[in-house]
Amino acid sequence: MTLLVALLGSTFFLSNAMKAEYSKKIKYTPDIVVTDTKAMRETSINREVVSNILAINGVSGALPRVYGSYYFTNADRIFTIVGVDEFETYADKNLNELLKSKSFEANSMLVSKELKELLKKSYYKDYFNFIRADGSLKKVTISDSFESEDTFHSKYMIVMSEQLAREIFSYTAYEATDIAVSVANRDEIGFIANKITTQLPNANVQLKEDLIVEYESLYNFKSGFFLTIFIISFFTYFIIIYDKMSGLSSEEKREVGVLKAIGWRVSDILNAKLYEGLLISLSAYILGIVLAFIYVYVLNAPLLKGIFLKNTELLQDYSLVFSVDYETLSLLFFLSVPLYIAATIIPSWRVATLEADEVMR
Amino acid sequence: MIEFRDVEKHYDNNVIALDKINFTLKEGEVVVLKGVSGSGKSSILSLIAGLSKPTSGEVIVDKKHISKLADHFACTYRRENIGFVFQKYNLIPTLSVKDNILLPLVPVNLKRSELESRLSEQLTLFNIEEKKDTLVKNLSGGEQQRVAIARANINAPKIILADEPTANLDEKLSLEFIEMIKKMKSQKRTIVIATHDPLFFNLDFVDRVLNIENGKLL
Amino acid sequence: MLLNPEILTLYILNILFVLFSSIAFIMSLKIVRKWDANATTKLQYSLEKQSYLTATIIKYIFYIKLPLFLFFIFTLDKISFVLPGAMCGAGVVNASEYATPLLFLKIINLYLFAYWITLDKEDMQDESQPYLKQKFQLFLLFYFLFVVEIILETLMFLNIDITSVVDCCGAIFSTNDDTYLSLVLSMPHSLLLTLFYGNFILMYIVSKLTQAKLFSFLNLTFIFIALISLVAFFGTYIYELPSHHCPFCLLQQDYSYVGYLLYGVLFVGTFEGLVIGFIPFKEDELQKRERVSLVFSFVYVLVVTAYPLSYFIKNGVWL
Repeated sequence: MTLLVALLGSTFFLSNAMKAEYSKKIKYTPDIVVTDTKAMRETSINREVVSNILAINGVSGALPRVYGSYYFTNADRIFTIVGVDEFETYADKNLNELLKSKSFEANSMLVSKELKELLKKSYYKDYFNFIRADGSLKKVTISDSFESEDTFHSKYMIVMSEQLAREIFSYTAYEATDIAVSVANRDEIGFIANKITTQLPNANVQLKEDLIVEYESLYNFKSGFFLTIFIISFFTYFIIIYDKMSGLSSEEKREVGVLKAIGWRVSDILNAKLYEGLLISLSAYILGIVLAFIYVYVLNAPLLKGIFLKNTELLQDYSLVFSVDYETLSLLFFLSVPLYIAATIIPSWRVATLEADEVMR
Repeated sequence: MIEFRDVEKHYDNNVIALDKINFTLKEGEVVVLKGVSGSGKSSILSLIAGLSKPTSGEVIVDKKHISKLADHFACTYRRENIGFVFQKYNLIPTLSVKDNILLPLVPVNLKRSELESRLSEQLTLFNIEEKKDTLVKNLSGGEQQRVAIARANINAPKIILADEPTANLDEKLSLEFIEMIKKMKSQKRTIVIATHDPLFFNLDFVDRVLNIENGKLL
Repeated sequence: MLLNPEILTLYILNILFVLFSSIAFIMSLKIVRKWDANATTKLQYSLEKQSYLTATIIKYIFYIKLPLFLFFIFTLDKISFVLPGAMCGAGVVNASEYATPLLFLKIINLYLFAYWITLDKEDMQDESQPYLKQKFQLFLLFYFLFVVEIILETLMFLNIDITSVVDCCGAIFSTNDDTYLSLVLSMPHSLLLTLFYGNFILMYIVSKLTQAKLFSFLNLTFIFIALISLVAFFGTYIYELPSHHCPFCLLQQDYSYVGYLLYGVLFVGTFEGLVIGFIPFKEDELQKRERVSLVFSFVYVLVVTAYPLSYFIKNGVWL
């Protein structure tokens, strides 16, 4: 039972930690992100709508962004390319710092340290050749590398000038990946989002808040998935316990007979057995939690993390945020202790109500 | 003190263990139930202890109709009034001497000090002080017997019942047992011993000898 | 449909409870019909054994129900973040038509189960087992109430619509609409406080006179008055906001979870007081329970009074 609790505990701790991380990160996403769709599929957006958006009352800023992913065949990896304009301030604090500290020469890019290592392995030390949409190559110098923070974004990250990013993605001068909109008054976000939709009926307007909720439900779902596994395994366990306790050994029968003969009532025997069950399940619970703790926070949850983060390449070596709350603890409690005791009720009762007669013979 | 009125006891397979038994025992008496195995003496003890109920008739102890008590209350009665020494002792081998002796008092929730004092009283009375932490399975036959008696005595019962207590003992230990019975008699207990050991038939402190044969009192 | 680990847990435990309480129900039925204390038949012996199981099951359910109720409230709170407009459990309650009756039923069931356990304990003290048939008959009734509670709970969680907007407690408990609630909330404070403290003092006096039924009745009224005064008056001092009347927000961390203390103490105090009117206890048992009831109720009164007082001391004015 300890293992089960530990397993479930780790799941919850992990998802909680990730949620905490995520909510930290989420501060750096813009209030509203506007993307365009064509035939309900995501496509690039026209930069010029920025002026229309800025015209809406309450919008404090609208920034077209160019970024995307690039698939590197040789290493079977996907890179994230973020195009930046040196003079802009971005919602992402880390990005801003990067802009301040490094400079961008023409035709060069900054790569994350991990990416630099990866490219080296593919014999790209000082530059890299991107393959464009039309098949032509674009050679870009690797000017510097940076520390990638503990982010959910790919650790294979490239920062380059927006212009350059455009070239690589084969964007025209008018295209942008999306538009990051900041709103001065939080309460107006929904209202403004509606206005944008009216302006651009095809656009997909995503609010930061919705993202949070969506992510929450995603994690709830995933935890739910684990929960189902847990239930099934517990059910099996239930049956095993029940079976074990129902198999009354002659030793046990004798003991109960003796107890009854010296004056123990059925309720006394029952209580003793139930206390025993309580103690066992409680200690298993505590032990399980401690184990889960160690697994997640000390060992960094090796296997489980992979299941939670969809692509294995996104595995980070970051230490998880310490986030333990009463809810999770009580959740685990209610899932383990009452169930264990329930499994022992009927068997304990059977034992306690044995006849004491045999003892006499 | 103990009264049997027209008590009959039948078992499942139509075995008649007791057939219209009638007797009365006075408080403080030491009574020997004499009879061979299967004569019904164990059933009588079981009925006095409230461990089983008569098929018909009544068992009255200290003015209480214990044959009519629900199991729950029969156990309480037994705990408060009866000390039983079994033929096979029925100690719990994996527990220590002191744990075995204290066992009957566990559900009673006495204060720790009370438990301690009672325990030491019994340990001294029956001479097993030094072995109090030893596991019962590591004791000799004689020592186990003493533990069994101490356990029976610890709740200061009014009635002590012993079922073939000397069946597995040599003469020396049997005599020791008789001494312990004397000690308990001096504590004013009513003592009923079921046995076919002739050692008991001519003791001076035995008040009565009842003969049981085929479930009938002779 | 809303599904998260907490709700799932509640479902699992509910299924467990239904299973076990149904076993208890079947046994209770048999006992009520066939129990004969004087019989020495096999049937009677097996009924006796079953009575132990039933009692154990009921105790088990109760002792888990208590913390589970808190967990339930916790869950409501957690869901509130997903429902647009809700900022605490009150919003969730508003989102479902089943929620309010469910809440009432849950509380009533807590009292009922606690009553059963007390009755059982008393019954087992006496060799004649005076309450035996009664307690199992009662359970037959309680079982139905319990099952209804679980059905309501399941329905509630199944039907919460996360897309519709709900009111938060500010709107539900406002004094402006013309609902019964707002009528109650706009009662003059002097009247409210008189009733509240008056009730408590009466309880104290009556306990000295050892009038069990009257004491019990006063505890019943105390439940209502305490809750109303909490929501209408004392709560506002805990929140330090004259318009904040929500009974749920008390349970949140921001207010040091004081809600749990208050409700817990109130439950114990009023239960001990109530039960006296229903079971004829022996004299010393009666005294003991009366004392316990008074002590707990007193703690409640104390804690709840502390808030407005400390506010006044800090700020020199009332809200």
